Amino acid sequence: MDPRRRYKYWRLWISLLLAGLAGTVVVCTVIGPAAISPGEVLAILGRKLPGAGRFIARGDWPDSFETIVFQLRLARVVLAVLVGAGLAVAGVVLQGLLQNPLADPYILGISSGAALGATLAMLFGLGTHVLGIYAVPLVAFVGAVVTVVVVYTLARKGNRVPMATLLLAGIAIGSFLSALTSLAMITSGQNLQQVIFWLMGGLAGRGWDHVIVLLPYVFGGFILMYFSAHRLNVILLGEEAAQHLGIDVERLKLVMLGAATLVAAAAVAVSGVIGFVGLIIPHTVRMLVGPDHRVLLPAAALVGGIFLALADALARVVAAPEEIPVGVITAICGGPFFIYLLRRKKDAGI
Amino acid sequence: MPVTLKILGVECAYGATPVLHGVDFSVVKGSFTGIIGPNGSGKSTLMHCISRVLRPLRGTVLLDGNNLYNLHPGVVARKMAVVPQETAVNFAFSVAEVVMMGRSPHLHRFQLEGEKDYAVVSRMLALTDTLHLVDRPVTEISGGERQRVIIAKALAQEPEIILLDEPTAHLDISQQVAILGLLQRLNRELGLTVVGIFHDLNLAAEYCDSLILVQKGQVHAVGPPEMVLTAENIKAVYGAEVLVRQNPVTGRPAVMLAAGGGRPAVPRGRVHVVCGGGAGAALLGLLTRYGYLVSTGVLNIGDIDWEAARCLGLSLVEEAAFCPVSPERHQANLALIKQADACVMVNIPFGRGNLDNLAAVAQARAWGKPVLLVEEKVIEDRDFSGGQATVIYRDLVAKGALILRGEQAALTWLAQM
Repeated sequence: MDPRRRYKYWRLWISLLLAGLAGTVVVCTVIGPAAISPGEVLAILGRKLPGAGRFIARGDWPDSFETIVFQLRLARVVLAVLVGAGLAVAGVVLQGLLQNPLADPYILGISSGAALGATLAMLFGLGTHVLGIYAVPLVAFVGAVVTVVVVYTLARKGNRVPMATLLLAGIAIGSFLSALTSLAMITSGQNLQQVIFWLMGGLAGRGWDHVIVLLPYVFGGFILMYFSAHRLNVILLGEEAAQHLGIDVERLKLVMLGAATLVAAAAVAVSGVIGFVGLIIPHTVRMLVGPDHRVLLPAAALVGGIFLALADALARVVAAPEEIPVGVITAICGGPFFIYLLRRKKDAGI
Repeated sequence: MPVTLKILGVECAYGATPVLHGVDFSVVKGSFTGIIGPNGSGKSTLMHCISRVLRPLRGTVLLDGNNLYNLHPGVVARKMAVVPQETAVNFAFSVAEVVMMGRSPHLHRFQLEGEKDYAVVSRMLALTDTLHLVDRPVTEISGGERQRVIIAKALAQEPEIILLDEPTAHLDISQQVAILGLLQRLNRELGLTVVGIFHDLNLAAEYCDSLILVQKGQVHAVGPPEMVLTAENIKAVYGAEVLVRQNPVTGRPAVMLAAGGGRPAVPRGRVHVVCGGGAGAALLGLLTRYGYLVSTGVLNIGDIDWEAARCLGLSLVEEAAFCPVSPERHQANLALIKQADACVMVNIPFGRGNLDNLAAVAQARAWGKPVLLVEEKVIEDRDFSGGQATVIYRDLVAKGALILRGEQAALTWLAQM
């Protein structure tokens, strides 16, 4: 009850998770097929730190090590953190808005819209002569956003958007687009492995340019969500109750759906459809820190980032030198863990 | 008296189905107003309309003189709180956190709750007797507790008006009384205006000082409970036969079921019942329900059997309260008996005042009509006429009147007649 105690508890969690994130980033950067020792990795990373960097002496490693650590590994770890954080906060917001524990960032058709876009780009070269190598992420992003806009418009009744209708419209449109994707794959018959890898989600070959594209979406979306945290709490009591507490519910829904859509669509555009992060992480974090969005959102972002970075590290090493899509790892970890959560769900509501 | 909510010519519809057709009424500041009416009469729609959920197609709702739907939702939320019938909370917020949400209309967007908000929350938890639940997850408390928590949340808004949609619908009688008692206290002590939908007419009569009776999307009657809750109004709106009496403790109207059930279309014959003092009310009801044309007399005005007979709409001979049966009334009674196919007398005591009723039964037998005497006590034990009643009664039995035990036996006998 005592507010100071509660805020202190929240700060403790966030500090712990921040430390955990820093540790995860370092550990995941150390992991990799090239024979670079952990000490060398730490030194290379340390030298990049502003301020402290100049006090660390350069060792006698080749220049390629710096490229591997900084350009390849670190960029990918940071990207994994951003994708994980983005999917987790989008999941938190959608579960809250839809009042549905099974909601995830893809439920309104983001994944199927993005998948169709990406498939068309990969198989039939949609947009490639204009956008070059950025065609796949851009077309996927546009596909995802257009899908959600269509779903939202379909579900709209007068000036209201009932959440149950939105959910059903999302599922219907999603199935329809998935069917089109399958059709495209069957008729094309080439580049199928590339498409399948994308559909399972992976971060192989991504770098800083992807980070730079994704960062504003995740950061901006998170800020928007965090500033609505209190209203997101109130809407958990039901839309009418929130309205009685003076909240413009339809506007809040529109803004939050927009934010979650942009974050998730951007994440999918750079990484493909990585499943389970946006479903599992919100549940897990709610159990740890409670349902209050003021702590739930930052904590979910951090845990999502940590989880996906670790999963991606695993994806890199588990079958080295081959890589498996990180979506396979998240699903393998996520499925059983979700069942475990359901079994002990009694303790924490949803 | 200052009006806080004014509903003017409101028409509402869900999609194409019109629900309210021109509703007008006012809620006085500081009143305890109940909205009553049968299922599907538009009570809940009316509540949605005045709680700023369902914008009326026509007409206006004024909150302290301003159009409710032009006000900012935040402004409305600081003035008016709403308690729905049931609140399903799916997320494990603690009771304190839920009640704290009631403070949100008073907080700026990025403002954290301050000392004042915690003080208000504690006060409302104490008022609603939920202080002991404060750290419990709201998903794990009972329905009655949760309803009190939701009321605490509404009170934490520090509203001037609280709207409740059947706030006690799923609660047992002690919980109902606890919650309505709380609302009454807040109404009397803090001047909180209470507007609630009530399903239970007696609870509404007990706690409200003004009632609005709604029927088919229109207001049928408005006023204090004793003016709205009349047998005529209830018959007209609910189609139910009731008896309205006064609660002896509170003086409020109390609604009781009368005859009940449908009556057979074909009348079964005429029966005259001699009764009084409440001994015959049940039999009058039963005979009516089984389809007999029932008459009764002579009954004193204000007598319980008299009230039952009036309520059942029976042919009746009445005499002024506490007066003995006058010769004219006696003749009128005989006239009714003459038309009857049978005469039933229940187990009543006789004194000089009603000896004529016994004489009337004797006349029925003399006319050759079947006479049934429902007897629980022998006549000697209920003869306060100095032995005259016993003489007539014994003579009646000697002349073929049947003594039966209980009303059911009389009904069975009549059915075989």
